[in-house]
Amino acid sequence: MSLFWIVIRQLAEIEAMAASKKVITREDWEKKLNNVKIRKEDMNKLVMNFLVTEGYVEAAEKFRKESGTEPDIDLATITDRMAVKKAVQSGNVEDAIEKVNDLNPEILDTNPQLFFHLQQQRLIELIRNGKVEEALEFAQEELAPRGEENQSFLEELERTVALLAFEDVSNCPVGELLDISQRLKTASEVNAAILTSQSHEKDPKLPSLLKMLLWAQNQLDEKATYPRIKDLSTAALEDPV
Amino acid sequence: MKESNGKNSVEKPDQDQDLGLYFLELCRRKAKEELEDYDGDDDDDEKEESPSELNTINSSGGFVVVSTDKLSVKYTSVNLHGHDVGVIQANKVAPIKRLVYYFEIFVKDGGNKGQISIGFTSENFKMRRQPGWEANSCGYHGDDGFLYRGHGKGEAFGPTYTTGDIVGAGINYAAQEFFFTKNGQVVGKIYKDMKGPLFPTVAVHSQNEEVLVNFGKKPFTFDLKEFEAQERMKQQLKIEEIPVPPIASYGIVRSYLLHYGYEDTLNSFDEASRNTIPPIHITQENGSDDQETTYALNHRKALRQLIRDGEIDVAFGKLREWYPQIAEDNTSAMCFLLHCQKFIELVRVGALEEAVKYGRIELSSFFGSPVFEDLVQDCVALLAYERPLESAVGYLLKDSQREVVADTVNAMILSTNPNMKETKNCLHSNLERLLRQLTACCLERRSLSGEQGEAFQLQRVLSTDKRS
Repeated sequence: MSLFWIVIRQLAEIEAMAASKKVITREDWEKKLNNVKIRKEDMNKLVMNFLVTEGYVEAAEKFRKESGTEPDIDLATITDRMAVKKAVQSGNVEDAIEKVNDLNPEILDTNPQLFFHLQQQRLIELIRNGKVEEALEFAQEELAPRGEENQSFLEELERTVALLAFEDVSNCPVGELLDISQRLKTASEVNAAILTSQSHEKDPKLPSLLKMLLWAQNQLDEKATYPRIKDLSTAALEDPV
Repeated sequence: MKESNGKNSVEKPDQDQDLGLYFLELCRRKAKEELEDYDGDDDDDEKEESPSELNTINSSGGFVVVSTDKLSVKYTSVNLHGHDVGVIQANKVAPIKRLVYYFEIFVKDGGNKGQISIGFTSENFKMRRQPGWEANSCGYHGDDGFLYRGHGKGEAFGPTYTTGDIVGAGINYAAQEFFFTKNGQVVGKIYKDMKGPLFPTVAVHSQNEEVLVNFGKKPFTFDLKEFEAQERMKQQLKIEEIPVPPIASYGIVRSYLLHYGYEDTLNSFDEASRNTIPPIHITQENGSDDQETTYALNHRKALRQLIRDGEIDVAFGKLREWYPQIAEDNTSAMCFLLHCQKFIELVRVGALEEAVKYGRIELSSFFGSPVFEDLVQDCVALLAYERPLESAVGYLLKDSQREVVADTVNAMILSTNPNMKETKNCLHSNLERLLRQLTACCLERRSLSGEQGEAFQLQRVLSTDKRS
């Protein structure tokens, strides 16, 4: 090792000491990483949980065969759930409501907010398709009575009906309601409600673990410098700067 | 800065070592789990002794009587001054490698003055003083409901308590707080300003005062599980605020499937991702990374399938044909595991004679080798049982053993990829590296906080349900 590097290294250590942080070299850190025990079965479960929760029914079926991992939910129910989700995503809200009720009528009965959002989506689709009269009738008969029960519903309703006031919705302040993202939002709300009704978590565990990793690194940053993972997609260790 | 490790950067010491040895370690761990009746807590470091009874040796003798079960204490004298308190500590310090430590007392008799207290004290606490009156102690007192922390003067804290009440004291390591409960409800919490080991402590100080202590042998009145769940939830909410691009998970799942050669799953996953609304494009920003893992995908998938089906001979044959460079050394860990698996498959179908014959030819050479001996012995031991599946070596007959062998072959094939940048990437998927980093960060942070708090355990995350 050249003298130059020794000096640099010592300087780095002194600097770190000044901040009273522990300095962990790459070599030491890799030793610590090697001591961690992660079970293959657990990783398989994590992947299965992701496939199932996100609705990849065929992939889940294949994964069961290829890895021997049992899904934590009946795979048949995924197909139904995805059909509902897809219906909302493609604007067939009536169809979606019927499918949800076929699955389990309690989902909408016990979830007035979800039901309102679905009806709101239906109204949005009517407006999108230029069915002004139908839209007005639907708003007055189906949505307005619900607005009386709940102030926030009423505000949402007013916001939605405002779409009718603009000839060119691309420039109107509530135009975002017509955006695809509104459908996706409603679709994921229905998806979550169905999962909850099936006693399943509404979100996969993997994204939370990724957040936890970033959080854990931030926490450790306060006490030590060590090789971090910055890029989740490569999972490469980067030396401390 | 490669120079800094003092070695010539050209050489890679790991490369000469047989990668497959890593999987032998995995097998050993399985064997161990089998014996210990795996409970998800496979880290011996996580096991700590907990207080179970009162310490009758180190107590203020003379003023109190401790029952024979060492779980109740009574003040039998008449108190005269502030230095004849009947104090008693638990037999062990409060364990620290957890989210929360907690214990409870039941006030059987408030005695003449109800001068009872509950709290925590350090090892060298003066055993004739109330917890909280002296430095390095803290106590919630029954007669005034005050909290005392190292001074003679207390601070208003909670309600008073006396005969019939159940009072609890706890340490929340995540929040670094003490908390106290009365009859199942939290009455207050306060910053834990004491360092070092702490003993659960109770004190009685007037005639006939009597308390029963519960270190958890009996169910607590306070819902500790719920409290812990809420604490975890608080932390979780903070964590959920951290932004992570939704696409990240897709990429990680995809690279996991690639890594292990779950090709059918991968194809379904890709197909479905293209057809979602909107389609998910998992672009591999790093082109070479993709190349690294699509390498020999079809071969890896085929071999995994064969091994999972118990077709070891066929798998061996293909391996010799496709990758002679890794199959020719019959003493490698991979070949060893395949031979073992062949033996296991013969036992599974009841072809014991054939198994013996096969063992003599292929396994006997591994006896006497310190690296392989224990596993060879486990394999051979299968012959000794009428119902081997239920025996201590039954783990060998499980699906997971086939999976380990398949993973070994998979890793060895990945290692033949000339573009593989780091050998250890053959062993670990990106997902595994992320989980290792997560675990190591949590452990290191805890170790820098005096080992307080619970460690990250994937097992626990997988078993918790957060439906809300």
